[in-house]
Amino acid sequence: MIDKFTVKSPTEGGTKPDIRPKQPYTASWSQKRVGMKLLLIEDDERTAEFILRGLKEHGHVADHAANGKDGLFLAASEKYDAVIADRMLPGLDGLSIVKMLRSTGNHVPTLFLTTMGGIDDRVEGLEAGADDYLVKPFAFAELLARLGALMRRPPVNDVKTTLRVGELEIDLLKRIVTRAGKTVDLQPQEFKLLEYLMRSEGRVVTRTMLLENVWDFHFDPQTSVVETHISRLRAKIDKGFDTEMLKTMRGVGYSLRA
Amino acid sequence: MLSKRLFKTASFQLTVFFGLIFAFSFMSLLFITYWTATSALRSQMQSEIRAQLAVMALEAQSDGVATIIQDIDERTAPSDRQAEYYFLSDGKGKKLAGNLDGIVPQEGWRESGLSDSILAKPDGNADDDHQIWGQGVFLSDGSFLLVGQDAFRVLSAQESIINSFAWSAGIALLLAVLAGLAVSRGFLHRIDDINNTSLAIIDGRLKERIPVRGTSDEIDRLSANLNRLFDSNQSLLESLKQVSANIAHDLRTPLSRLRQGLEEARSKTGNSKAYAAAIDSAVIEADQLLATFAALLRIAQIESGSRKSGFKTVSLTSIFDRVTSAYRAVAEDQGKELATTLEDNLDFDGDGELLLQMVANLTENAIRHTPSGTRIILTLENSDQGIAATIADSGPGIPADLRDKVFEHFYRLDTSRATAGSGLGLALVSAIANLHAIRISLHDNKPGLLVRLDFPGR
Repeated sequence: MIDKFTVKSPTEGGTKPDIRPKQPYTASWSQKRVGMKLLLIEDDERTAEFILRGLKEHGHVADHAANGKDGLFLAASEKYDAVIADRMLPGLDGLSIVKMLRSTGNHVPTLFLTTMGGIDDRVEGLEAGADDYLVKPFAFAELLARLGALMRRPPVNDVKTTLRVGELEIDLLKRIVTRAGKTVDLQPQEFKLLEYLMRSEGRVVTRTMLLENVWDFHFDPQTSVVETHISRLRAKIDKGFDTEMLKTMRGVGYSLRA
Repeated sequence: MLSKRLFKTASFQLTVFFGLIFAFSFMSLLFITYWTATSALRSQMQSEIRAQLAVMALEAQSDGVATIIQDIDERTAPSDRQAEYYFLSDGKGKKLAGNLDGIVPQEGWRESGLSDSILAKPDGNADDDHQIWGQGVFLSDGSFLLVGQDAFRVLSAQESIINSFAWSAGIALLLAVLAGLAVSRGFLHRIDDINNTSLAIIDGRLKERIPVRGTSDEIDRLSANLNRLFDSNQSLLESLKQVSANIAHDLRTPLSRLRQGLEEARSKTGNSKAYAAAIDSAVIEADQLLATFAALLRIAQIESGSRKSGFKTVSLTSIFDRVTSAYRAVAEDQGKELATTLEDNLDFDGDGELLLQMVANLTENAIRHTPSGTRIILTLENSDQGIAATIADSGPGIPADLRDKVFEHFYRLDTSRATAGSGLGLALVSAIANLHAIRISLHDNKPGLLVRLDFPGR
């Protein structure tokens, strides 16, 4: 599935210069070396502390606002790589912050972090202009992976018909996959999965991210949908080759790298 | 207490109102009958008297006044009961004959003043009640003749009309009031039944029901509907109790495992690997708890019905397609087959995300609770009865008496709870089906389980 947030690229319609590096990621999947500048708008002290410490450990710099007004002020006046905002905040709620930012042409990638996990809440959050939605409680790795995904938005005009990661190549129009010149036969689901993994090259994608973006499943299946397809895909693209490209990051997710 | 309330009841007030209308119509009827009867009798008397007057006037003209005098004398002979009255006077007002006296000669019909002029009764009976109506006429020679009759016919008719009306009106009113009382009492009695049952239920005696007579009148229907309300109230409360008990039970197990694990980890000294393992398993337990809560919240949210506002036309075919393509590989890896027979372009108004989850949950159930070698078939078709879907497997199936239970919160056929799962999957399915008015039923697939979904017509 094509990344559904593509149209909300930070450069779209806004005057804000694209400060993100053109080639933001090295081949390494680790996010430690990226060093994002982030804004956390969160009123709960313990949650904020937990997130700030985690972000720092992974090499990111983060400002913290404990209420909506400060958060909006910081988000509007500073340049951040991404904003992590709680939805329920004293003073000004997260939804209003995002709406105000968007209405002034500020398209800083924004991730809602919230206990409001209802179906309507998610849709409402995304409609207000947020780019992603993560329900508390969450695994920190999930937050990192999603922040990474926000950073990797391709520019809106960048419509590629072929993707390449190392010796793996995928033709989106002809729907042909080759590794080192050898054709790999994939089922439609496997193809979609590989396409998403290739677009997220070098980064960790979590099981939930795959469910949402490949299958458009917004619930937690009780069977191993993701694991089954990953292992089938791996069998097809890695079997018989020296290097394993599709890696399992234990307890975190998966990553495709050359 | 009852009698006091009786007068306040709507049905009694209605009875009184109808009684008054009844009385009024009785009065009108009485007036009309009285008036019609009186005038009929009067004109009968008049024509008799006039006929007699005409005959006597003719006699006087041809044979002379003397003949009439003789005639009158004969007729007023004190023989039987006097009913006819005569008066004859000459042109100067001098009485010539008759059993009346002192009549002022005046032509025309008169109904008053005559009874005072009756001469002494022949039988000596002073009957003052007698009224005499009569007509006077001047004969050709100037003499005056009056013929009168006792009006008792008319008067007694009038009296008996009034009497009969008085009696029947009295009886009718009495009956109306008695009937009203009886109806009100019966009505009140049944209202009391409803009240008492309601109070009993408020009091916690949930099994009480309003007696239904089977007459299918309004109160019976009201009682039956209230009973149904009480039924659903009772089952809701019972399932609430059950759910609370189940939540307590289902959360205790992972919580106590979590606690045990943490306690154990604490007792281990210095082994970082053991710490990590203990923490990992604690996280897994916590995640399972959170997943259970998330499922409960989701069910509650679906049951609240708020999602209904977001219904759109969605393609059922594509929903079943998506589920099949997601789970076919999962089934195959477990040595099961997932096959479909799906009719194209079947649309339905609903919540696409929830419908997807419903079909996914049912499919997952078929995959998870069946042995290797099972064949699972998804069908979707449109027939005269509307759109219907089935999810059928050739697994062990569910015993008929347990088929309803599986939709309950936390119900699990595997009572040992050895298999993973929250026991909320089918409760969620049921909630989603209810939201969309989809009828869900479980059948024997011989062998295996067949879940049938009947979608409501658009």
